[in-house]
Amino acid sequence: MLEEVKFKVLRYDPDKDGKKRFQEFRVPIRKGMTVLQGLLHIKEKIDPTLSIRFSCRMATCGSCGMMINGLPRLACYTLIEELKTRTVVVEPLRNFPIVKDLVTDFEEFFNKHRSVKPYLIRIDTYVQEKSNTMYLQSDEELVRYVQFAYCIKCGLCYAACPVVATDKTFLGPQALAQAYRYYADSRDEAGVDRLKPLGDGSSLLRCHFAASCSQVCPKGVDPALAIQLLRKEVLLRS
Amino acid sequence: MSTLLTALRTWLVPFRYGLERWSYTMQRISGVVIALYFVMHVASTGQVVGGPSVWTLPPYEYAKQVWLETKEFLANPLFDAGLVVLAFMIFFHSINGVRLVLAHFGLILKKPTRPEYPYHPGSMSRIQRVIFWVSVALATAALVYSLDVFFKVLQP
Ligand code: SF4
Ligand code: FES
Repeated sequence: MLEEVKFKVLRYDPDKDGKKRFQEFRVPIRKGMTVLQGLLHIKEKIDPTLSIRFSCRMATCGSCGMMINGLPRLACYTLIEELKTRTVVVEPLRNFPIVKDLVTDFEEFFNKHRSVKPYLIRIDTYVQEKSNTMYLQSDEELVRYVQFAYCIKCGLCYAACPVVATDKTFLGPQALAQAYRYYADSRDEAGVDRLKPLGDGSSLLRCHFAASCSQVCPKGVDPALAIQLLRKEVLLRS
Repeated sequence: MSTLLTALRTWLVPFRYGLERWSYTMQRISGVVIALYFVMHVASTGQVVGGPSVWTLPPYEYAKQVWLETKEFLANPLFDAGLVVLAFMIFFHSINGVRLVLAHFGLILKKPTRPEYPYHPGSMSRIQRVIFWVSVALATAALVYSLDVFFKVLQP
């Protein structure tokens, strides 16, 4: 068990000189310590100006995504000892604009998420106003989409995607997985209307199936699978 | 400039994201190389036939002369080595391409399930890994065969 590790953290402050540079900190570690706890140690004991975003500390809120030793990971879900290095390199998530230090701007990402209408669309909206309305679903119907419903919108898949890196018009793995999640839900009635806006060259068909999204997703969502299933529907039905 | 760097870094560096990222990188590189080769191939073939005049001016003296000149120009071990690499790329690109088309039509994917940890993505199913490795194996065989054709490596 290591006693101490070096944290190499990318610092960036647009209100100061706006330059990106790495700053090093020595952090004492104990068993079971996460990268987020290491960063909090730095913020509390060494440099309070370090900006990080987190909330739940249990891989549920999706706020603490960052590049840790070169891969997109959740800081609260990554044990320092599992990295098996003496140096932990922490940078803001790729493919996102940086706000300050490790905090990135999710506006574009959330806009893309919103654009796929991530909610059930029904023709009987008036029925839903009655509080006792239920839409029953069998287990098979549930399994068709439930995996994709585990998404916590952490953006790790978006940071791993080589297509998003160079084409910002591409919707990205998260939004497309959600498009499929609602399309595959037996309670949803939008049908091919969900597919039509995805048939152009950039929103869905730009996916080259590098599947890096599925490699880094901390919730087992497998966006690459959802995208291929969605692509099949778009190719065959819309 | 930074977009170009990002492009090179994300397109050409496949490390740490699993087999599928390797497939992506190799498919891209081989696709670009085959496309460029195709242009060169058409250009050099065009040289050989010497353009439309050849067909109207028998006995094709001019065509024969161009054909010999081009052949001489291409008789260079560098071009032969290029063709060897190209053989690998064509085999890989076409067989792996069939896998991608099948996957795009949802045919060789696993069904969605409740994720169990440690989670292995169903997008890269077993059958897909098999087809990927078959494409690498056949491409390697094509490479060895063409090495033999051009450089006689297998002949005693
Ligand atoms: S699909 Fe996975 S990696 Fe992408 S935002 Fe959702 S939880 Fe995060
Ligand atoms: S702090 Fe909520 S996911 Fe890490």
